[in-house]
Amino acid sequence: MIVSSGSEHLAHRGLVLEQAQAISRSASVIFQVREKGLDAASLWTLCRQIAPIIDETGSIITINERFDIAVASGASGVNLPESSCPADAVRKAAPGLITGQSVHSESAALKASSAGLDYLLFGPVFHTPSKAPFGPPQGLERLRKICEKVRIPVFAVGGITPDKALACIECGAWGVAALTPFLDAGSMPETINRYLSFMPS
Amino acid sequence: MSLPRRLLCVISDEHSDPVELARLALDGGAGMVQLRRKTASGRELFQWALRIQELCREQKALFIVNDRVDIALAMQADGVHLGQQDMPASAARALLGPEAIIGVSVSCIEDAVKAAKESASYIGVGHIFPTFSKNKPSAPLGTAAIRPIRNAAQLPVIAIGGIERDNAAEVIRAGASGIAVISAVSESDDPTAATRELVKRIRQA
Repeated sequence: MIVSSGSEHLAHRGLVLEQAQAISRSASVIFQVREKGLDAASLWTLCRQIAPIIDETGSIITINERFDIAVASGASGVNLPESSCPADAVRKAAPGLITGQSVHSESAALKASSAGLDYLLFGPVFHTPSKAPFGPPQGLERLRKICEKVRIPVFAVGGITPDKALACIECGAWGVAALTPFLDAGSMPETINRYLSFMPS
Repeated sequence: MSLPRRLLCVISDEHSDPVELARLALDGGAGMVQLRRKTASGRELFQWALRIQELCREQKALFIVNDRVDIALAMQADGVHLGQQDMPASAARALLGPEAIIGVSVSCIEDAVKAAKESASYIGVGHIFPTFSKNKPSAPLGTAAIRPIRNAAQLPVIAIGGIERDNAAEVIRAGASGIAVISAVSESDDPTAATRELVKRIRQA
């Protein structure tokens, strides 16, 4: 399970901290920090603050795109957007990081899977406002096809509510990722449990 | 890596092809090129950076990346230039190593001293004159501000902001080790000639 932050709206400032604290009371997940509205200095400060919190709980913290900030803040990994600097260059510069990449097409998935990555995020599988900029929903069949062709874990992303998680797993997904259901940090441990209850362990 | 004296750093603007601009500036004798493009994707920056780095090596010039330590790290640039909104120079230094050139933008003594403590290689001091390349709400520092900032930080100063042919020498005489320009080169009809002229004025100052 990947829990993505994403408080791009001012109303959600400070949410990522609450989320990080909530994760310390939840089952283990990958917590992906995706705060596009923050400048590098604020992101660095934030990550240094939350990396130890997440680390202590057995969960994994990854930073969106900025692998320099991931290394500098002691985070475990980085998630590269499709338009980031190439995965093999990131691997070489920061070999100790868990490195994942978001992909939005089969060709990008195949290319990324041969770059020595640890996992892929494929989507949007279903419709969701937060992933609308990344194209129309890809659907379960494409997810299935990619999971068959790719040899590294694939996480399905995009409109995946807890009840849709099982369908993604049945397509061969390793896990699922979500953002919107976690905007209410208070209920995060319960929401994570709901997801996990729909997925075979 | 220590910074050469009387250095001209040419910075890319937001619309020109940055590789072509670098090529023209290097032909004119620029000693350093800085890739700065606030709206570009990581992939675009990485690909431009690789090509500009190669051009710079051919001309024995330095290449640095603005803000994006990740890009500099991924393609092994000579260094980075950091603003006050970027990670601290000390964090960049830990990532890039002791040889990297790390510049920090400052506009007051306090920030300059902080940059020196955080192991910056130089400070970018500005803006010296009024400028339209960057949106600046504050008043220009003027050339008289250079020497006190330099003396407080004990670091080479690369002055920036509104510097062009006719005031470049004054900036060097005021204590700057070098100057950085955007529009004085990028907006010129002949960027190579504009660079050559700036280099000459800096050397003769």
